Amino acid sequence: MKTAAASLLLFVLVMAGCSGETQESAESFEISGEGIQIEGAWARPASEGRMSAAYFLITNFEDQNDNLISVQSDVAQLVEIHESYELDNGMMGMREVPELEIPSQSTIRLEQGGLHIMLIQVTRTLADGETFELTLNFANHGEQIVEIPIRL
Amino acid sequence: MKKRAVLFNLQLFTFLFLLSSCSSPALDDYSDVSYELIDQNGETVIFPDDFKGAPLLVGFIYTNCPDICSFITANIGKVYNELEDPGNTQFLLVTFDPERDTPEVLKSYADAFDMDKEPFRFLTGDPETIDSFMQRVSLRTQESYSRELENDERMYFLSHTDKILLIDQNSRLIFDYGGSMTPVSILIEDLNKL
Repeated sequence: MKTAAASLLLFVLVMAGCSGETQESAESFEISGEGIQIEGAWARPASEGRMSAAYFLITNFEDQNDNLISVQSDVAQLVEIHESYELDNGMMGMREVPELEIPSQSTIRLEQGGLHIMLIQVTRTLADGETFELTLNFANHGEQIVEIPIRL
Repeated sequence: MKKRAVLFNLQLFTFLFLLSSCSSPALDDYSDVSYELIDQNGETVIFPDDFKGAPLLVGFIYTNCPDICSFITANIGKVYNELEDPGNTQFLLVTFDPERDTPEVLKSYADAFDMDKEPFRFLTGDPETIDSFMQRVSLRTQESYSRELENDERMYFLSHTDKILLIDQNSRLIFDYGGSMTPVSILIEDLNKL
């Protein structure tokens, strides 16, 4: 598989609410790399038997799209790609995302209130300050193991 | 004499009207309800009577929710940590899934967020009471989907209203926020006005 080195300029919108109004400011930063790169990973603490969610940025530096097809971890009974979304009636719901496409030369953000990796019934308490491993399986890039810090 | 009395009454009415417009308008007043709930330590509390006399920030959660509710819980914790003077402000997390969220489960959940301590209280109750409470605060839930686990347990998830309430010392609802979406700084700013 051809691996292209590339750099991406990321624009991140920082939203700050102010008395019902929304202010927006843009900050940009450049990251360089090749293949698939995972950054800013973290997960919520959870007590044994409960739920947690992991969040990170996935950047695809390749010339081809890639897909995150599954995720595994030994700290949960089930691990799935999920998305929180607002229903038509204003309630917040959650749905499974069978596969997550990472377009070429772009970054997908897994974040609170949006896309996330759902850890169903964690097999041990995930305490603030600890870490665990997630195995991400990409269609083109195969397995990638990520160390996930747990924090509040 | 009669004219003077009319003039006095008019002035008094104007004064009272101006006075009332200075205070925060209430969205609701919970003084007429009484919900018997249980906290994470098994202690019975009455909402709102046991919380009168100090401002109250209330988040609504269920502990099998990994994303939105953990966001709401963490936001309540951050408000406490970032308030310059929390004073006697009270912080409640109330479950809308009482069948699964027993006091023991809530205690374990609170501990994971380092919130199993004063001034945080995680509350559950019997399903009828919780249902009545949720109707009063306009919090809706519906089962979204479920999963069969390896141990044959059926795990179900809920769609729900995303909510944090700010209630004043007289049990009046002052603000109704989108719980996970409202910046902590806004919650602190509004709390400081009470």
